[in-house]
Amino acid sequence: MTFEDALQQALNGLSFGALLFILAAGLSLIFGMMDVVNLAHGAFYMLGAYVALSVTRATGSFWAALIVAPIALALVGLIVEPLLLRRLRGRHLDQVLITIGLSLVIADFIRLRDDWGWGATVRSLPLPAGLDRSIQIAGSDYPTYRLFVIAFSAALALLLYVIQRRTRLGALVRAGVGDAQMLSALGVDTDRLFTVTFAVGAGLAGLAGVVAAPVFGLQPGMDVDALIYSLIVVVVGGLGSLSGAVAGSAVVGPADTFGKVLFPQFALALIFAIMALVLLFRPTGLLGRVRIGR
Amino acid sequence: MIEIRELRRDFGGIRALAGVDLRVEAGERRAVIGPNGAGKTTLFNVLTGELRASGGTMRLGGTELGSLTTWRRARLGLARMYQRNELFDPLSARDNVLLSITSVVGAYRPMRSPVAHEVAAADAVLDQVGLRDQGSTAARALSHGERRQLELALALARRPRVLLLDEPTAGMSPAETERITALIGGLDRSITVLIVEHDMDVVFRVADRITVLHEGRAIAEGTPEAIRGDRQVHDVYLGKQVEA
Amino acid sequence: MSRPTLIRMAIVLAAWVALATFPQWSGFWESSRFAAGIIRQILIFAIFASSLNLLVGYAGLPSLGHAAFFGGGAYAAAIAAQRLGTDQLTVSLGAGMLAAALLALLVGFLAVRALGIFFLMLTLALAQMVFAVAFQATELTGGSNGFSGIRRPTLLGIDFSAASDLYLLVCVTFLLVVLLLWRLTTSSYGRALVGVRENERRMRALGYDTRTVKLSAFVVAGAIAGIAGALSSYEFRFVSPNDVGLGTSVTGFVMVLIGGAGTLVGPVLGAAVVLLIERVLPSQLPAQTVLGVVFILFVVFARQGIAGALRKERRA
Repeated sequence: MTFEDALQQALNGLSFGALLFILAAGLSLIFGMMDVVNLAHGAFYMLGAYVALSVTRATGSFWAALIVAPIALALVGLIVEPLLLRRLRGRHLDQVLITIGLSLVIADFIRLRDDWGWGATVRSLPLPAGLDRSIQIAGSDYPTYRLFVIAFSAALALLLYVIQRRTRLGALVRAGVGDAQMLSALGVDTDRLFTVTFAVGAGLAGLAGVVAAPVFGLQPGMDVDALIYSLIVVVVGGLGSLSGAVAGSAVVGPADTFGKVLFPQFALALIFAIMALVLLFRPTGLLGRVRIGR
Repeated sequence: MIEIRELRRDFGGIRALAGVDLRVEAGERRAVIGPNGAGKTTLFNVLTGELRASGGTMRLGGTELGSLTTWRRARLGLARMYQRNELFDPLSARDNVLLSITSVVGAYRPMRSPVAHEVAAADAVLDQVGLRDQGSTAARALSHGERRQLELALALARRPRVLLLDEPTAGMSPAETERITALIGGLDRSITVLIVEHDMDVVFRVADRITVLHEGRAIAEGTPEAIRGDRQVHDVYLGKQVEA
Repeated sequence: MSRPTLIRMAIVLAAWVALATFPQWSGFWESSRFAAGIIRQILIFAIFASSLNLLVGYAGLPSLGHAAFFGGGAYAAAIAAQRLGTDQLTVSLGAGMLAAALLALLVGFLAVRALGIFFLMLTLALAQMVFAVAFQATELTGGSNGFSGIRRPTLLGIDFSAASDLYLLVCVTFLLVVLLLWRLTTSSYGRALVGVRENERRMRALGYDTRTVKLSAFVVAGAIAGIAGALSSYEFRFVSPNDVGLGTSVTGFVMVLIGGAGTLVGPVLGAAVVLLIERVLPSQLPAQTVLGVVFILFVVFARQGIAGALRKERRA
């Protein structure tokens, strides 16, 4: 592999990792606060991409979609959490199961909406004007959009970090207190906290969907792929923490990219093998917090 | 039968067990007492293997326990009654005991339903602890005292060599306490009994010898009379009890 | 055996005979063949769901990767028949069962070392590895196009090509599997599984090597799923990576939960409900959506499933 190729792949790995971070952050957040693995996360991602598709078609602006889609998904989260999850407080496995049902409904909904321009055919989202060209890096062309993804993700990570450090919500998230009883004993409105957390997580998933759509396109089954990858990232990096999402995406992104280039037959197996190894020997992930009483 | 030397267990910076020496003869009834936080339940947890020792050695009937898993130690003849009941809630009392009884044979009898003599043995144990009429009742439907009795039954049903009782009479009415105490006192001498208790009446009735734990160390050991008169124990713990 | 049990057995056997002879006595009905096909598929998936139930309902292991053994068994049956150039039932069914059991041994060995949510995610991830292999090993499995042209098996001269003969094969296999599971779950082994589910700590204190108990449940469940997979390969004459995919695993889970985990009849009911929704629902109604909604409703309101709710009714 030449130096130019290696650099290309490194940037690919980085941009993929950047995308994975946006995807995984929401999942990690919801788990860290509520002890629920949101298996509808991939469906939220998918919905975000399709909403972006419609918004872009209607307004001609990718940037509008970048704002609208996460908000739309956050609204979905605001509805879903009190409706479905709140009544199952404390029944963690059942909450996970409900998210499975939810993902079935969302994926099917998208698949059937031909009338909205969604449906089962493969769709694509055009690159935003201004980011649809390549620039020269070390002698070869590299798409600017991917560089944008890296920058955007880094900015998001920084923003989330600041929020965690500076706001009350952030303090609660950092404390990682997922025990509803303990929280309410401290005077926190746990119902609202959980709803907001879930909404933010859903919004982040939608955001990932928008950002990924120009690169990966939209098709049935993208929700499963996204879910699998986000699970792998949070397991490897550490469930329940922002730094875990960073660590996980930093490992999985490049590993997946280089794996596909160097040994395409086994690339997928490699990723799952990493996940399995981490689960066996360091179940809390590389940077995860030890949770007592699991 | 039980030989514990300089047993240590640390939790981060806290020394729950700071070098415990304990030697129990076969067939002996040894009570372990001490104020809350002295390390009594931790001692049991390390002995059964649910917690790993941070140092020291443990021997059961001559066999070094250190590296063995919980279930291997159980198969050596160690049985335990937990401080907080660890029952199989949806199963009937009889099924609970049957699980304990068939543990001796092992789990892999896929084709044979409970054998008649095992059911009879289960009923015998239930009778022994006073749950004869509750055999078909689900464990979760039993009263607190009955659940405690079932908890004891699970330990007894294994025909252990060593029985660890963790506050067996906790939360029991005087009548229930009386029955359990008589039961423990009447156990066959082929079983070595290690009992953690706060109720001193029970201790003095049942125990051959008493070990007093304080801050993770055995500070005194002797016959009940000797312990009763021991000044140091008095100050640390017993003092409050005797006055009451 | 007690009298009530004998009566129950007699009823079950009578029902089975009626089921097995359905094509014969329903011949006058114009939809008879279609219905028989649906029943075949229900029974095949009932076997699959029942095997998952052993893990989920009895041993308390929420596996989201069970399709790996179902599809793995299907592929193994098809590949064995092709590579060994034989149609013998014993060969393909045996290969399916064996391959699934070995796969379950591997997966289980790793999975039982994880608890709770980590177990769920590990089974999901490991199953996806199998999916990846099925998808990419094109020479062996046909890759994304799937493995087609599978022939129906023969046994000692009996050819199961005709739909009604296959129907009988499926019915007989179903009965044998149900009997096996009935024996397992009512034995000391079954009780040990429940014990591990209810209080693993206590089981270990009683001397049970719970890890190995769980592993054994995994292998048994996997083998039975492999049987279902082999039957599926005969039924559809086609195996695709979807058969080892997350969708199939989830479908199995949905069947177990809706029908009633921890009961023998539950998974059968669940398979019937799910398949009827998927195949019989008018095409205007979206099957997956209905399934998802039904599943959610059950999780919230009827967690114990149909069989569980019926059991409570009987007790009350």
